[in-house]
Amino acid sequence: MPTAMRSKGFIALALLPALLLFLIFVIIPVFWSAYYGFFSWKGFGDAKFIGLDNYKEMFRDPIFWRALRNNLILVVSSIVGQVPVALVLAIVLFKNSLFSRFVRSAVFMPMVLSTVVVGLIWGYIYHPQFGVANHVLDLLGLHSWTRAWLSDPKVNMLAISIPINWANIGPYLVIFVAALQNISPEIHDAAKIDGSAGWNKLIHVTLPIIWGTVVVTIVLCISGSLKAFDHVIVMTGGGPARSTELLATYMYNSTFSVYRYGYGSAVSTMIMIVSAVLIALNYLATRRKSS
Amino acid sequence: MKKTRKLGIVLLLMTMLLAACGSGESGKQAEGSAGGQEKVKLTIWHNFAGDDLRAKSVRSFIEQFAKDHPEVELDAQAIPPDGYRQRLSTVAAANEMPDVFFVYAGSQSSELYQAKLLQPITEVLDAHSDWKDKFLPGAFEPYEFEQGQIYSAPLGMSATSILYYNKALFEKNNVKVPTTWDEMMTAVSAFNAKGITPIALGNKAPWVAQSTILGSLADRVTGTEWFKNAAAQKGAKFTDPEFIQALGHFKELVDHKAFQDGANSIDNTQAEQYFIQGNAAMMISGAWTLTNLAASSTEDQMKDIEVTVLPPIPGGKGKAGTISGGAGGGLALSSRTEGKARELALELIYAVSGPDAQKAIAESNSMVMYDTDIDKSKVTSLYYKAFNLVKSTEVTPVYDAYLSAEAAEVINNGLQEIMMGGSVEGVAQKLQDAQARSAAP
Repeated sequence: MPTAMRSKGFIALALLPALLLFLIFVIIPVFWSAYYGFFSWKGFGDAKFIGLDNYKEMFRDPIFWRALRNNLILVVSSIVGQVPVALVLAIVLFKNSLFSRFVRSAVFMPMVLSTVVVGLIWGYIYHPQFGVANHVLDLLGLHSWTRAWLSDPKVNMLAISIPINWANIGPYLVIFVAALQNISPEIHDAAKIDGSAGWNKLIHVTLPIIWGTVVVTIVLCISGSLKAFDHVIVMTGGGPARSTELLATYMYNSTFSVYRYGYGSAVSTMIMIVSAVLIALNYLATRRKSS
Repeated sequence: MKKTRKLGIVLLLMTMLLAACGSGESGKQAEGSAGGQEKVKLTIWHNFAGDDLRAKSVRSFIEQFAKDHPEVELDAQAIPPDGYRQRLSTVAAANEMPDVFFVYAGSQSSELYQAKLLQPITEVLDAHSDWKDKFLPGAFEPYEFEQGQIYSAPLGMSATSILYYNKALFEKNNVKVPTTWDEMMTAVSAFNAKGITPIALGNKAPWVAQSTILGSLADRVTGTEWFKNAAAQKGAKFTDPEFIQALGHFKELVDHKAFQDGANSIDNTQAEQYFIQGNAAMMISGAWTLTNLAASSTEDQMKDIEVTVLPPIPGGKGKAGTISGGAGGGLALSSRTEGKARELALELIYAVSGPDAQKAIAESNSMVMYDTDIDKSKVTSLYYKAFNLVKSTEVTPVYDAYLSAEAAEVINNGLQEIMMGGSVEGVAQKLQDAQARSAAP
């Protein structure tokens, strides 16, 4: 008994500093911000309690719904565009040959670049006059397809989601490669003896084994896309006319430039709730499949 | 065993307490010495962080002050302009303002004033009356929050709607430089027919079209009086026919493809480059373009560029030949700074915005709201032309200096909406709603 208890006590003690930091800098501010969500507050000066008015205004604001819709587009495009691509790449590249190591680093590279750099690079790719994207389309004879990618509201969310997916595949690839390399060789041997190969093996052997990892990557994808901010701020700033606003940029734009910290706090509380709901949904959906 | 555990916890708590005490004490010490004789601590925050001439000369005046006052321990922070507003808002929220800080004219400084974070600097202005008197008319208007009390002295002037044009392109294509609105529309069509962009615009940060085009254009239609009334929501509304007409003229430019494709997705600097490289015939932009071009282009590129004002609108109530603009940002004094620190802070403000500093700023290709003579050889030819143009014209209000922060955001986004085919009336209605909300007590 003493050993177990002692180590428990020690664990608690060792965790205490980190836990305290986490409490002070993450948990308490979350509640603090939820509290400010009930006030009309400029960020300085006096705050006035207004109950649920901020939330009411948010639900009436068409831009909030547009931001939510854009964010859901981004979540879907990330889940569809990042996880399967990363999985396929991992399956193709999981051997440690020179070639696959090279391709893996190439796919990982945008992750190392600062997001501002990624945003600027793609801003130039999409540039309406000198951009590579339009130039290539012209060369292919697809002049009618050229457009101002970032300012045409019909396509700009799509145009923005491409660099975001491009920049974020890297870590998922690494996670999947690690998961695949963790499958013990005996299982491969057993599958071979049972005559399983190719698709059959992928669906009945490999995927079930790494399913836990897939679920985790989807959760990471959802929370990552709901937090998405920097790429959009650099490429469009949420514009033009707020057509590429995401929840996070909506929060930022309705807080800092117009001095409405109370409202911004309410929006960020809403972001928390939306992410919690989406992650819970994902948990329910994937749990049924895995059981 | 239990004893060791308890001891461990006690030790841990003690370390934390000690750490807390430590920081508390050092804070006190710093305050103590501020009141004492040795060193006075002063902090100054500004956004002259860049590598351009103006930022360098402002920084050199701050450094000079530090050298001249060995009794001051000066902590000067240069914060890049993009993040400056946010940084200042953050410390304002925590009531931890630096002693002296750069503020923008308009909503930012008036919000800070209303939050009681500023104190007047009238005293130092009165002490140097020869300095005070040489400021141009209207220089203190945005900073006179109460009768007879001035809260800042502008370090610059924002002239936001200079019409730059490429003389060579106009001559080559036989187009007349527009002096009436009809000629403007003719020029737009003529350049479009030749495959040249008529007007370069980089409206990704959405204040650009509002600040450079709408302010001046709308003033020509509505007159300044109407705008001030509408901003105060007294006897005029943004849904009035004159404002709808003004927005309509902006839409007219959009509909005639005056701006290059995708103007909403490139920034102002990119548009400046597009223009100076001869891809566009005109650009409507502020005095900041002079500073940018001085840093990024050659005299050879600039010699073809001329400056003028936007043409008048037929039947408009506004004065012709004006430029939208006003006092730029200046240094303000925190309401928490007292005693000896306050005296020195006022001296610092004089050192950085006094006559020498104003002249130096003007000679770094940047407009000032101060009557000074500049040495032609020190500035670019384009700046010299603009300096004389602005000196001879009257200024009209810039929209976002009078609108509430929220309403400014609405009209900024509204202009982007119009550029994307949105309705003029809808935008006017939204602007009216936003301004009415913030004007209500």
